Amino acid sequence: MSDSEEPQQKTVIGIAFGNSNSSIAFTSPDGKAEVIANEEGDRQIPSVLSYVGDEEYHGAQAKSHLIRNPKNTIAYFRDFLGKSFADIDPTNAHSSAHPIQHESGVAFSVEEKTDGEPSTLTVSEITTRHIKRLQESASDFLGKKIDGCVITVPTDFSEAQRRLLAEASKASGLEVLQVIQEPVASLLAYTAREETSHPADKTVLVLDIGGTRTDAAVIASRGGMFTLLATQHDYELGGRQFDDALIDHFSKEFIKKHKTDPRENERSLAKLRLECEATKKTLSLSTSAQISIESLAGGFDFHSTVNRLRFDLLSKKLVDQIVGLVESVVKKAGMDLSDINEVILAGGTSHTPKIASRIQQLFPSTTAVQAPATNPNALNPSELSARGAAIQASLIAEFEAEDIEQSTHPAVTVTPHLAKPIGVVIHSPEGDEGKAEDKVYVFLDAETAVPARRTATFVGTNVGGDVLIRIVEAKKESVDVTPPKEVKEKTADEDDEDDDDDDDDDEEEEEEKVIKRVTEVEKVIAEALLKDVKKGQKVEVMLNVAGDLTLTITARVVGGKGGIRGTVPGRAQ
Amino acid sequence: PAEPEWPHEGGFHILEHLSEPTHRNLEPVGPHYLAHARRKRHHRTFSEDDRI
Repeated sequence: MSDSEEPQQKTVIGIAFGNSNSSIAFTSPDGKAEVIANEEGDRQIPSVLSYVGDEEYHGAQAKSHLIRNPKNTIAYFRDFLGKSFADIDPTNAHSSAHPIQHESGVAFSVEEKTDGEPSTLTVSEITTRHIKRLQESASDFLGKKIDGCVITVPTDFSEAQRRLLAEASKASGLEVLQVIQEPVASLLAYTAREETSHPADKTVLVLDIGGTRTDAAVIASRGGMFTLLATQHDYELGGRQFDDALIDHFSKEFIKKHKTDPRENERSLAKLRLECEATKKTLSLSTSAQISIESLAGGFDFHSTVNRLRFDLLSKKLVDQIVGLVESVVKKAGMDLSDINEVILAGGTSHTPKIASRIQQLFPSTTAVQAPATNPNALNPSELSARGAAIQASLIAEFEAEDIEQSTHPAVTVTPHLAKPIGVVIHSPEGDEGKAEDKVYVFLDAETAVPARRTATFVGTNVGGDVLIRIVEAKKESVDVTPPKEVKEKTADEDDEDDDDDDDDDEEEEEEKVIKRVTEVEKVIAEALLKDVKKGQKVEVMLNVAGDLTLTITARVVGGKGGIRGTVPGRAQ
Repeated sequence: PAEPEWPHEGGFHILEHLSEPTHRNLEPVGPHYLAHARRKRHHRTFSEDDRI
């Protein structure tokens, strides 16, 4: 194979394959994932192919052909892969080559030769050509042949669609090592950035606002392992709808001046759509943007400006819809908004500052919202999937295909997850106040996959003596912590006016309720007694839950000898 | 100060078992999953894995 003495290093990439845009990324030798720009300098490469004469155009070049050559330009084809013609929604493909019925499902008819004979290209074939171009861009950039890739797909992609995608890629000469889910890739892009071998346990919402669809997923991240708890999709909500809001706004302005509606002419609409998308992108970075189109309709040029405030107003309904989707997916996971520790905003539309600020308002201030508008250290939302895929590709690059197959098999992925949080309550001798007494310290949160183990250190006692450690299953509850009446009376001046309009006191109180999530003991599993702990000594507790739910506790004084160890057998035994 | 009451023998006492777990699908992604899969396929425990 290789004529050098060095062990053969495989060159692998991550591919984010989207309906609107695709991107490619690789992992540099120092372990950092980087997104690759194609020869046109684009990191977000439009998933568009266009045929003019004998030439094939790809990416941004092909996208610009949507104006002059829409019938031979193929766009928004990913979601058609592996679908029957009856099951697809062709709306987005209306302004480009129309999907047609084919024995394999969906195809397109385009003229790809100068002789003018139209050829029928299946969605699989288009996917193959698209991946081939992406692969060439990556190969040119890295100066090496690409040996394999990891591709991301939405969570609602079926097994058959994943298999077809892998086959389409293989037909382009690029081996797919693994097909992974978009939200999981985005989460991996963030967790890989944390410089710790023990990532924090947290529940994460990944909100992927793309061009033609929006996908939300709630993921339990426990010990660096991820479990999808709930997903939800909206196929009529995305960047295109935000573009539409601008298109309508500018069209009205144009009609006022020239009495012609640019939306009524296909070519004018295509021009307007392309420019509105660019204007929208500018509005994510600055507070005002210009739009300028030569000969938009009826031979008239169009110049105008729009500020961000106006755009926020135009798109308010869409942002409300996004908020609705978030609330709905959290509910589907059986959770409360305050149970979400982190929100990751992914997808191109997540650059919109208003979306990030509305999401931040929706969640308690303790919830981290990862978006450029709310966190200056956030990663680029458009690059998350590709980065995650590149990281995963580098992790499995040296694996044999059989190893990957076995490691991703359901026999390995289907795992028992804890139904309840497991923690300890530390009781120490009487008179010992102001410590963690009667508070549940959660070691292993609900939805943690087993086997798992966690260790924590406590100050055992402030007075010296025996320390009682209770291992408990906990429950999270919403508790009303509304401040008592007397506190409220301080603001009586403000309330007075309300009282006049509204006689019903109860209703008013309900509005002011403050709900807090607390962790309480559900049942005590076992107790352990650690004898003769001296004042101020630290106690280290380790909990280990085995695959059969056998729980082992080890508790000892830090630096001391002995300690106690106990085992609660799993039910199966 | 009074010591905690401890009417049991030894330092450990079992009252209940853990609740039935839910079976869910782990995402086969990331370094920690790959370590988990390796342990599962070779039937190793955490401490055995640490030693290797």
